[in-house]
Amino acid sequence: MSLSDRDILELNELCDATVEGTLTAAQRVRLEQLLADSEDARRYYVKAMDLSASLGQYAGEMQMEAADVPSSGTHLWESKSVRWAALAAALALTFTWWLTSRPTDLAKSISADLPEYVARLTGTKDAVWPPAAAELAPGDFLRRGQRLSLKSGFAEVTFDSGAIVLLEGPAVFDVTSAWDATLLRGAIKANVPSQALGFRVSNRAVEVIDIGTEFSMFADDRGGADVLVLKGEVEAMPSGDEDSEAIVLQANESRRFARAGVTVSEDPAQMRARFSARVPLERQSDSVRYVQWSFDELQGKISPAKVAGFPLGDYHVKLIAPSPSVRHTALVDGFRQKALRFEGLSFARAEFPGLSGNFPRTIAFWVKVPNDSPLSGAYSMVAWRGDADQLASRPVHIGWNRQPTEGPLGAIRTDFSGGHAMGTTPLRDGRWHHIAVIFLLSDDPTAPVQVKQYVDGRLESNAVTSGPKRSVRGNVRANDNLSGSDRLWLGCRLGAVGPKKERFLGEIDELVVWDRGLEPVEIVALMDGHMTLATQRAD
Amino acid sequence: MASHSQSEAENRKRLVALMTHHQRRIFSYIYTLVPRRPDADDILQETSLVICEKFDEFEPGTDFVAWACQIAYWRVRYARQKFARAKVFFNQDVLDAVAKTASDMSAELDDRHEALSHCLQKLNTRDREFLLARYEPGCGVRDAARRSGRSLAAAYKALTRIRKLLLDCVTHQLESEAAT
Repeated sequence: MSLSDRDILELNELCDATVEGTLTAAQRVRLEQLLADSEDARRYYVKAMDLSASLGQYAGEMQMEAADVPSSGTHLWESKSVRWAALAAALALTFTWWLTSRPTDLAKSISADLPEYVARLTGTKDAVWPPAAAELAPGDFLRRGQRLSLKSGFAEVTFDSGAIVLLEGPAVFDVTSAWDATLLRGAIKANVPSQALGFRVSNRAVEVIDIGTEFSMFADDRGGADVLVLKGEVEAMPSGDEDSEAIVLQANESRRFARAGVTVSEDPAQMRARFSARVPLERQSDSVRYVQWSFDELQGKISPAKVAGFPLGDYHVKLIAPSPSVRHTALVDGFRQKALRFEGLSFARAEFPGLSGNFPRTIAFWVKVPNDSPLSGAYSMVAWRGDADQLASRPVHIGWNRQPTEGPLGAIRTDFSGGHAMGTTPLRDGRWHHIAVIFLLSDDPTAPVQVKQYVDGRLESNAVTSGPKRSVRGNVRANDNLSGSDRLWLGCRLGAVGPKKERFLGEIDELVVWDRGLEPVEIVALMDGHMTLATQRAD
Repeated sequence: MASHSQSEAENRKRLVALMTHHQRRIFSYIYTLVPRRPDADDILQETSLVICEKFDEFEPGTDFVAWACQIAYWRVRYARQKFARAKVFFNQDVLDAVAKTASDMSAELDDRHEALSHCLQKLNTRDREFLLARYEPGCGVRDAARRSGRSLAAAYKALTRIRKLLLDCVTHQLESEAAT
C-alpha cells in the first residue's frame, strides 16, 4: 500500500511524538497498527528515526568541534592499551566522537531570517488595546510570535491556515504560527475549516488539537482552562504530565484542565451562552476587483476576459503559438469546461494596466502538470514583471520547483528578486490542482515581500527564502523598451525585455487575478467556482 | 606469546576500524527499535560489549553491519523485560517487521545520512542552530527553546516543521542524484 498525503501527515506526527517522547498510549497503538500493516509506513518510520539518529551525531560533532577535542580517532586508541570491555564501553560512550574528523560545514546559510506574517486581524468590535500596545485595526497583518493583549471588546484573527479565532477581552493571545496559537488568558472561539485540520491552541494547562470543528477555550489567571466543543470534535492533551493521554471531546462536551488534573467544567451552559450570540464585527471593506479568464473559448488567438472593478480595457489573453495547427489544438478539456494547453512552444499574454506596480494581489488558477514533465517544463505557469522598488524590475514567476536541493521537486514555487517561496506538494502527477498565490508588496522598498502559497485550498507556505536582489536595468540597452511590463504572461519564462526560450508544459484553467490578498475561506470558494462567494463572509 | 599479543592488537585495530566506520548504522538500527535515546544508548553499549567478546567469530569479508545488527537485535529482545514499562516499545511482530525493514534499508540510510549534511546547510541559521541545540548531548527541547527565544509549544512545532523539511530534502536530493 502506498502512503497517501494524509497517511504521511499522521505518520510524521507519530514519529515526531516518538522522537520527543510524547507519544500517548493511543498514538502508540495507532503507530503499531500502521507499522504492522504497511511496508511503506515502516520505511517512512525508519527514515524518520534515522534522521533523528543522524541529527544527534551531527549535533554531537558540532559540540565536540567547539570543545576542540582530538580530531584523529586513531590517536586515542593507539595511545592506550585498552581492554576489550573498556573498549566496548568507550566505543559506545564516544559515540559521536568519531565523526569529528569528517568535515561538514554547517556554518553556511543561504537564507536569512525575515519577519513572517502568519495571520491577519480581520474584524473587531469595541476593541480596546492597552496604551503601550500598538493600535490594531482590521486588515493588519500579524507576525509569527506576535502577542495580542485585548483589554476589552472582540477581535477576530484569521490565520493563514484558514483557522478563525474570535477573541473576547480581557485576553492575552499569542499568534504562534499559521497553525497554532497560545491563549494565556481570556476566552476564544475557534472555527477550523477542513483545510486547517490540525490547527492547535495551547495554554499552560492543555493543548487542543482541532480535528475539523468549532470550540471555545476559557483560560484563567491561575493557569487553568476550560474547553467546550461546539461542533465536531477535538483532541485535548493535558499539559505537565508526561504520562497523561489525549482526551477526545465531542460536540457539547466540556472539560476543565488545571494543574490538579482534569475535571468536569462547572458551568458549560454559561460557557456556551458566552459565544452563542453573533458578534457583528467591523471589518476592512473588501474590494471586488478581479480579472478572470475561463479559457472556455478561443476566438482565433484570443481568449476573452471577464473584468470586475478594474479600469475598462482589453484584458483578453492572446495565444502565441508556433503554427495555426498548434493553436487549433490549444483548447482542451479542462477542470471546468475548457482549458489552455501549453505544449512546450506556445505561450500567451494579456495586457494588464498597473500589473507591474505595487498593488497586492492573489493569482489563482487550476493547473495540470504531466507526471513525466521534464525539468525544462517548469518555467512558468504565470509571470509578470515587477517595476516596484522591492522587485528591482525583475520578473515574478510562478512555476514548479526544479531545484531539489532547495525544496521538493515539482512543488509550487514563486520566484522574485530577493527570494523565493516553496511549497510542499509535488504537482507533476497529471491531475488538476488549484493554485493560489498571494503576493503582497509594500511602498517601503526595504519591507519584505510576502508570498503565501495554497495548493488545493491548503496553505503550503507563508514564508520566503531570501536570495540575491538584482536589477535588470543594467542589462537593458538604451533603446530597449521593457515590453514585459504591465502584462500577464502565461507558459513562459521572462527575461529583461520579454519571454525567454523556456516554456511551461501543462494545462491552465480558470485563471483569476484579484487586487488583494484573499482570505483562506475565499480561496476555497474560488476553488468551488464561486466568484461571488469570494466576496461574501458568514459571521 | 608475542604472536598472541600481536594477533590481539591486530584484532583490536580491525574492530576499532569497523566500529568507527559503522557505529552510526548500528546505533540507528537500535534507535529505530528502541526509540528512546537513553535506552538506545544502553543497548548500544551492551551490543558493543558483545561485539567485542564475539569478534573472533566474525568472518572477515562478510557484512559486519548485518552481523552487528543481529547482535543488537538480540540485545533488544533480551532487554524487553527491562524496558517493558518504557513508553514506546513495539510488540514482537511489529518489532520483527521494523527490524527487517531497517536491516534492508541499511545502505540507503548511509546515503541519507550523507545527504542530510547538505540539507542542513540549506536551513536558515536560526532553524539550524535551534535544531542542533535540541540534539546536543545533554540538551533537550526546553533548553533549545530557551536559547532560541521560542516558547516550548513553538519549539515543538518548529521541530516538527524542520524535521519534515529535512526528511523531504534528503529524499529529493537522493532522487535527484539517482536521476543524474
